[in-house]
Amino acid sequence: MDRRKLIRKILVYAIYILLLSSLQVSYPGRLGFGGQTADITFVFVVLVGYFFGFKDGVIVGLITGLVRDCLAPIAVVGIDGTVRVTAGIGMLVMFLAGAVGASFFTKRMHRNVPFAFVSIAFTTLLYKISGHFMAYSWTFIAPAVGSYDLGVYEIVVRSCLLQTLLNLIAGIPILLLLRFAGPVAVSDQRKSSDDVIAIGEENSWLQI
Amino acid sequence: MKKLLTSKWFIVLAVSLLLIAGIVLSFIPNSPLKAAVGVSSKVVSPAQKGVKSTGNAFSDFWAAIADGIAIREENKTLKQEIADLKYKLNQYEEAAIRYEELKGAFHIRDTFSNYDIYGATILSREADEWFSVIRINAGKNEGIVLEQGQSYPVVDVEMNLVGRVIETEGSTSKVLPLLHEGFSVAGKVNEVNGASVIICGDSVLKKSGLCRVKGIDKNIKLAPGTVIVTSGEGGLFPDGIPIGTIESVDYSNPTEVTATLRPYSVIGELEDVFVMIPFNADTKKEGTPGASESSAQGQGGQG
Repeated sequence: MDRRKLIRKILVYAIYILLLSSLQVSYPGRLGFGGQTADITFVFVVLVGYFFGFKDGVIVGLITGLVRDCLAPIAVVGIDGTVRVTAGIGMLVMFLAGAVGASFFTKRMHRNVPFAFVSIAFTTLLYKISGHFMAYSWTFIAPAVGSYDLGVYEIVVRSCLLQTLLNLIAGIPILLLLRFAGPVAVSDQRKSSDDVIAIGEENSWLQI
Repeated sequence: MKKLLTSKWFIVLAVSLLLIAGIVLSFIPNSPLKAAVGVSSKVVSPAQKGVKSTGNAFSDFWAAIADGIAIREENKTLKQEIADLKYKLNQYEEAAIRYEELKGAFHIRDTFSNYDIYGATILSREADEWFSVIRINAGKNEGIVLEQGQSYPVVDVEMNLVGRVIETEGSTSKVLPLLHEGFSVAGKVNEVNGASVIICGDSVLKKSGLCRVKGIDKNIKLAPGTVIVTSGEGGLFPDGIPIGTIESVDYSNPTEVTATLRPYSVIGELEDVFVMIPFNADTKKEGTPGASESSAQGQGGQG
């Protein structure tokens, strides 16, 4: 990749990471509905992975996660009942989101736009189900947390499905941003993505 | 071997394990991952402040246009109200003088007179269902220093409970909000010898902006609308801070009566909050001996 394209890519990612992360934590009320908030940074990472490959997905995921840990970390009730602010959970979540986004039928579907929404829905559901499972499991490790008494309706409808719907809606503007004002110029996109998939193996880092 | 090391899934596994180790280590004060987050905070915070203030400026500009006509009408009404209020103000000033006289006579003290109140602005709010710690722009530099086991109450402009400080950094602090499932505070019904209760965050109710009320004596009749304030038990929170009102009571299980509480403060609508620090707490400024330790963790016990 030539230097100019690399600089553009780094700059665009840096701007979007800071902008979307700031919007996420500054105006969650405007991004939310029914107690859930559209996770625009999460959607961004998934789409970066989906459109621009594994390397971009995981690196952008790690940095976005670091910013998430910095701006809105998770507080966890520890084994001794003490509430502690953690670091690293955001990085782990976003890193895996980038990796999953980059691996979700990208080869078979040739990174086509409609399937990007399936990728968002799949990754969001995976995140929410894993999150609920972890929270439920944590009550056994740290009894001080108390019982995890979310019902099936709460988990399936009000948490997983609602979050997926909000993320899908948030995916539309982010997808347009990445396509038309993204890290790779529109003129370079056409010739690159499928060629790269054809040349590289899924196991190798994709480069555009 | 080289193929394995460059394998996508090997990288995912290795980085995930590293991050999990980092998360576990982050429970220990001074962990390297926390330090990395702290350093990145110095870069990210100004950018986030910039985005927020730009967003607010746009929002204010739009509101100014949209509300222009309504404001003109409102202005007329307000001018009339000002005249009425000026009259009332005179009366209250008289009453205030009278109060000061009586205060001395009856040894009344202000409920929170032994607390320093630090004003702060909310920098960032919850990102989603789980990433829900909020940040405020006051920290060690402003004199908010947490020692092990300490935590300070955070209230809104009307002195309603918002949450408590659980970690402080240079110029920011992290606040555990009232709705968080790890939050717990001892409360009481706001009347003489009011019944004691425990107010906790609840993962189900927080989506509706409600808290769980536990520890209700089955012989006590709580009605919707009952005002709950902090009881002061536990020593973390002073007594008398308004928390909210009872929304509903469930007497279906006589051995464990529970209720839901709607807090007065709505974090989504707040801009400014106040941190209450007791005079006797160690509030040394950063740079003074003993204040250079890493951010301390707040205790999870109820206040």
